[in-house]
Amino acid sequence: MFKQLDPLLHSELRLAIMSILLSAEEADFVYLKEQTKSTSGNLSVQIDKLSEAGYIEVERGFVGKRTRTVCKITKVGIKAFEEYVESLKEYLNL
Amino acid sequence: MEEKQLNEKESLELITQMIRNTQQRIERGNGIPFLIWGYTTVLVSLLVWFTLKSTQNYYWNLLWFLIPVIGFTAMTISMKKEKKGVTTYIDKVIMYVWIVIGIAAFIPAPAATIMEGFPILFIVTLLISIGTAITGLVIRFVPLIVAGFIGMFLSIFCLILGNTLDSVLVFAALFLIVQVIPGHILNWKGRNHV
Repeated sequence: MFKQLDPLLHSELRLAIMSILLSAEEADFVYLKEQTKSTSGNLSVQIDKLSEAGYIEVERGFVGKRTRTVCKITKVGIKAFEEYVESLKEYLNL
Repeated sequence: MEEKQLNEKESLELITQMIRNTQQRIERGNGIPFLIWGYTTVLVSLLVWFTLKSTQNYYWNLLWFLIPVIGFTAMTISMKKEKKGVTTYIDKVIMYVWIVIGIAAFIPAPAATIMEGFPILFIVTLLISIGTAITGLVIRFVPLIVAGFIGMFLSIFCLILGNTLDSVLVFAALFLIVQVIPGHILNWKGRNHV
């Protein structure tokens, strides 16, 4: 019996955000937008969803007069990501 | 990219691609810290050399303390001005390496003001060369590795020459080799995405 894939991660944009944050210590909104080629509105919504689930931490600060949003993956997020990849491997018989 | 459902294969491909993009970003590097510390050290060394040579007054050695003052100020300004979009584990490792090297290099500085003949220039050059080589190995950047090992080898000249005026000139030249030149190459590579 296959485990159900985490619906929060099994979406293109959220999975991309989590993959970037897994391989980085932290990434800001501009970098995530550039890498995922998403719109600001959509990215913002997905970041909030991941943050509400406790998968990522979001810090909002200032650099000069500009706002800067920085995201970091949490331990809960890492665990969820690992479980997601394990489930993927089962599906793909890897 | 949208909020669409992926099949399992697409998910794995996406994960791999995103991780690869971030890894490639790491290798671009940033030569600014090397240039700040390199040029500051070279200029202060030449200033110390000139003042000591022309006045023979030992107290001009206090000018060495301009290096941390100018260096830290310039680094703070540079870091505030240019926030990186992504900070990787490798960035953190390099930062910790340089914090340790920096502390280790400044700890013996007071001893050098008290103990005559204390080989401070040799110790500092050796430590900075070690830091440069480690940074080069971590980011896989050959000019830094080569400069670091050349610096380690040539730092012996600072030991042989002792605390003489010639040693100050060798010290300045070594910082050109170990920090300034590889810093410019790293910056050039980063700008051109080579």
